[in-house]
Amino acid sequence: METIKNYLETMFSTLPNTYEVQKAKKELAQMMEDKYTELINDGKTDNEAVGIVISEFGNLDELAEDLGIKDLVVKEPVLNSRKVTMDEAKNFIANRIRYGLYIGLGVFLCINCFVCFILGDALHFKTDALGIAFMFLSLAVAVGLFVFSGITLSKWDFLKNTDCSLDFATTNYVSDQKENYRGIHALFITVGVILCITSVVPAAIFDELTHRDTAFGGIMLFVMVGAGVLLFICTSYRNGAYDILLNLNRRGTMGANFVNGQQEDRYSNETVATIMAFYWPTITCLYLIWSFLTFSWWKTWIIWPVAAIISGVIKKVWGEK
Amino acid sequence: MTNISSDVIRGYNDTMILYLLLNGPSYGYEISKQIKALSGEKYIIKETTLYSAFTRMEKNGYIESFQDASEIGKKRTYYRITDTGRTYYREKCDEWQLTKEVVEVFIHKKPDLPGTMTDA
Repeated sequence: METIKNYLETMFSTLPNTYEVQKAKKELAQMMEDKYTELINDGKTDNEAVGIVISEFGNLDELAEDLGIKDLVVKEPVLNSRKVTMDEAKNFIANRIRYGLYIGLGVFLCINCFVCFILGDALHFKTDALGIAFMFLSLAVAVGLFVFSGITLSKWDFLKNTDCSLDFATTNYVSDQKENYRGIHALFITVGVILCITSVVPAAIFDELTHRDTAFGGIMLFVMVGAGVLLFICTSYRNGAYDILLNLNRRGTMGANFVNGQQEDRYSNETVATIMAFYWPTITCLYLIWSFLTFSWWKTWIIWPVAAIISGVIKKVWGEK
Repeated sequence: MTNISSDVIRGYNDTMILYLLLNGPSYGYEISKQIKALSGEKYIIKETTLYSAFTRMEKNGYIESFQDASEIGKKRTYYRITDTGRTYYREKCDEWQLTKEVVEVFIHKKPDLPGTMTDA
């Protein structure tokens, strides 16, 4: 049955996402499923049943007029777009992960290039020579990483400049990868935010304990902000790769149904659906009102993780795939 | 083996579907199965052909569609024939009678090959 579903998805992936097309796809799926079920019940093997169903499916050209897509097929050369293969998609993602890391490291070095200065100062070195040397070395390495990554990644510019599209199998693969990565992406962003917010904590603690300015607090601040930013960049590059690939499928075609954000969340309960439409704006308002009234920003952020958990639970209970 | 030319039969898919709907509402796969069985497996209607016929006839008001639960409780689209559909069906039957009479005239009854008949 999976093969039949994939076949149908592939056939429809370049068609416009209209009511007529969706209806046709649903109806055809129904007929194919009925036929498949009966063939299996008659004792046919899965392969035989799939073979028969697909061979008796017919041709979508026959439906062009009924679906109102005849003009569209002629006007928009959807089929002429460059197909991105599965290998290319995998390569692209791998590249984005690696060079995302390099760029992240470059930024980390830029943020931390003064660290040696501070360290030298704290240890009462006679000259700043070491600090200066380290700073320029850091910057040089950072620029090297930027240039190298930029040039290597530029070979993928064709994804932006030419008309490309993904076939169903690749779209499915990328979509799955993105879905699997969602948790880690959220974790990276969360840890990154925590690192940035808490970066002042070591400095505060050191100052409190020693009652004098220590360099270590300052160094920790730079290192933590740098690490946080590194996490942001790495994970954004990876997640961005999935989005770039999924967005290749034309908006408005059935294939674009896979892109998150283009498809709205659906709920089985009418009331829940209405509430969820206002959920995040309401949370944002609550956060801002609470924060500005109390000025306890260090407390109010808790609203976000709590809201995210509640939203997750609601999606799990009332959400429709 | 001779196959049915889809160009020729296309004009009569509607007739077959309407004939089957005269006995009561039915759905896509059921109709394709009956066409296959009644034709002695000589004609298998493609899914796309069937769907195209459904949408066209529904637009013309010959049939109506409605949702109903199947035996196993799944929602399914059923079709029923309308009065316009019945009239259209009778017209198509008359048309076929005429078509058959006309074409029949030009079909060899005897197993003679074309060109073997000579004027005496």
